[in-house]
Amino acid sequence: MLEISDLRKSFAGGPDAPGGKVALDGISFTVRPGEMYGFVGANGAGKTTTMRIVMGVLQADSGEVRWQGRPLGYDDRRRFGYMPEERGLYQKMKVIEQIEYFGRLQGLSAQAAKKSATDLIERLGLVERRNDAVQALSLGNQQRVQLAVALVHDPAVLVLDEPFSGLDPIAVDTLATALQERCRGGVPVIFSSHQLELVERLCDSVGIVSGGRMVATGTVADLRGAESNTLRVVVRDPAHGWADGLPGTVTVRGDRHILQTADVDDQEVLRRAMKAGHVEYFGVEQPTLTEIFKEAVA
Amino acid sequence: MNGLMLIARREIVTQVRTKGFVIGLLVTGLLVAAVSFLPTIMGGDSYTLGTVNSQQLPLQQAAPDTEFEWRTFPDEEAAKQAVLDGDVDAVLVDDARVLTDGEIDSELGVLMQSVNREVRLGAAGVNIPPLQVQSVGADAQYEGARTGIAVVLVLVLFMLLMGQVTMVAMGVVEEKGSRIVEILLSAVRPWQLLGGKIAGLGVVGLINMVTILAVGLLATSASGLSADFPPGIAGLVAGVLVWFVLGYVFFATLSAALASLVSRQEEVNTVLTPLTMTVMLTYFVSFYITTDPTGTLATVMSFVPPFSSMVMPVRMAATEVPLWQVGVSMAAMLLAVAAVLAIGAKVYARAVLRTGARLKLTDVLRAK
Ligand SMILES: Nc1ncnc2c1ncn2[C@@H]1O[C@H](COP(=O)(O)OP(=O)(O)OP(=O)(O)O)[C@@H](O)[C@H]1O
Ligand SMILES: [Mg+2]
Repeated sequence: MLEISDLRKSFAGGPDAPGGKVALDGISFTVRPGEMYGFVGANGAGKTTTMRIVMGVLQADSGEVRWQGRPLGYDDRRRFGYMPEERGLYQKMKVIEQIEYFGRLQGLSAQAAKKSATDLIERLGLVERRNDAVQALSLGNQQRVQLAVALVHDPAVLVLDEPFSGLDPIAVDTLATALQERCRGGVPVIFSSHQLELVERLCDSVGIVSGGRMVATGTVADLRGAESNTLRVVVRDPAHGWADGLPGTVTVRGDRHILQTADVDDQEVLRRAMKAGHVEYFGVEQPTLTEIFKEAVA
Repeated sequence: MNGLMLIARREIVTQVRTKGFVIGLLVTGLLVAAVSFLPTIMGGDSYTLGTVNSQQLPLQQAAPDTEFEWRTFPDEEAAKQAVLDGDVDAVLVDDARVLTDGEIDSELGVLMQSVNREVRLGAAGVNIPPLQVQSVGADAQYEGARTGIAVVLVLVLFMLLMGQVTMVAMGVVEEKGSRIVEILLSAVRPWQLLGGKIAGLGVVGLINMVTILAVGLLATSASGLSADFPPGIAGLVAGVLVWFVLGYVFFATLSAALASLVSRQEEVNTVLTPLTMTVMLTYFVSFYITTDPTGTLATVMSFVPPFSSMVMPVRMAATEVPLWQVGVSMAAMLLAVAAVLAIGAKVYARAVLRTGARLKLTDVLRAK
């Protein structure tokens, strides 16, 4: 289990922010084994800063990162897989050699690194490019190599900063599958993204960060629970004034009346609607993550 | 294999595979070989002489290091033609006159005159014992060769040092600018990364150095030049390698620390300026010292790190240096290297993850 508790970080003031800039103002969340954790937030909210602190490439002013109950140390981190926001690869090194090299740095034997690199190249669809220099690859393919570098040593935890940005839909699926596999193997996966439908589809839990604070965290269902669900009813040709007295709004589109309401006796509403006209649609609508997000950061 | 070794190995493999490395090695090898043969080809001290109706002068006895070739001409006319064609340097006619094309080579002139005088006096029964020359300096016999070796050494040391030190800086900025460090430093510690880079590029420099020394030794012994070398050349070669390593570690560490302050290759030159100036100064001082290896400047500078790393081997090549001086100088240099490693590693570790605008060295040192 990866526990992030009360991280705080400010950056020294530059000419544009003389007083210094608070990037993290108490970030806390937990990622359990086998859990896929989506980290979302507006630009500049503090996602990258948090991940850099987790990976030890940035020092927090205060707060703590714990792994399996102990403060996270250097030897634990070597077993983490990391994909930084600003991708970094040796441009002139061959794909296969690069993946192998990082595997070895992260503690694999020469043989294990070779095997793992070969497997990943196959799985991520890079077989034809295996002997190309990284600089000859398209951006999306470079990103696959970057992902291979994060996965090569069979990491105990995955920390990925916007792994999906810049990928085509097929590559998104490949990556999603790869991550889900690791997750099923009990690895906690944390990734940041601005593609909220994707986060909603893939993640068990979501954390919404805004202005360096965690404004919401929990399962997608939990977050929905906090929001009230809307009841939506569409009735054709209803008798006039059929919805009088009900909370919510009625929108008229031609001969259709659309009622959106909440906190009512839904059976009572259904009876009224059927009496008033032809009911075309009746259902409870859950807010999308996008709606929850907008609400949370507003 | 630990992180440092892996990083060093990558540096070596990457460098050795480049065209630049292979071409550079070939070019320097050829250059060194050419320099080793040059004195033989230019071969200053050999004369072709002729006689017309004369006895050959016993010049060889008077100048044992010079080669003389004699030809006999039937008459003066043929001899004149040979002189004008440049086939012979001078022709002795009737044991009395010397024919040359313009002014006679001064050394040859003096030699012929004095040997002629001696022969005539000998014939008249006068015997002059030759003057006994006695050197009060160290091994004056090898002075020329020593200076030559020292000059070549300065050049080689300077070129290799500058080349490798720049490589270190460019490598540091490549990793910092492209953010590869973020992944590297989640797998290895900063000192491993720094140490691996310096060690790897140092090995590449040593490969160059050893090649140059080996080619130089082989070529000079093939060309016969090595006959003029002072004894103990093997010790000198070993000493040069040790001093090269010390100087390299000193400057490479500084170079890495300075380079870690910037994030773009274009800024490398600017940030390295103070370092480049120091290396240049070391080079100029060493070069000057080849002309005056026993002077006060040479003696003093051969103790002051980092200048000593180049001045001392040059002094050792050019003249004989007491062992205690070498020891003290090396101890001082080792201390300096240790200090630079401690400070350099700290600066590097603090600065290498802070991408963006150029950092100030003082800020980095002051930060907690
Ligand atoms: N090295 C730095 N120096 C100064 N300020 C910084 C530095 N790094 C980050 N910040 C500031 O910290 C805040 C959080 O940045 P961070 O990169 O963590 O945001 P993010 O959530 O990853 O944003 P994005 O979605 O755009 O990637 C921003 O206001 C940013 O300007
Ligand atoms: Mg970010």
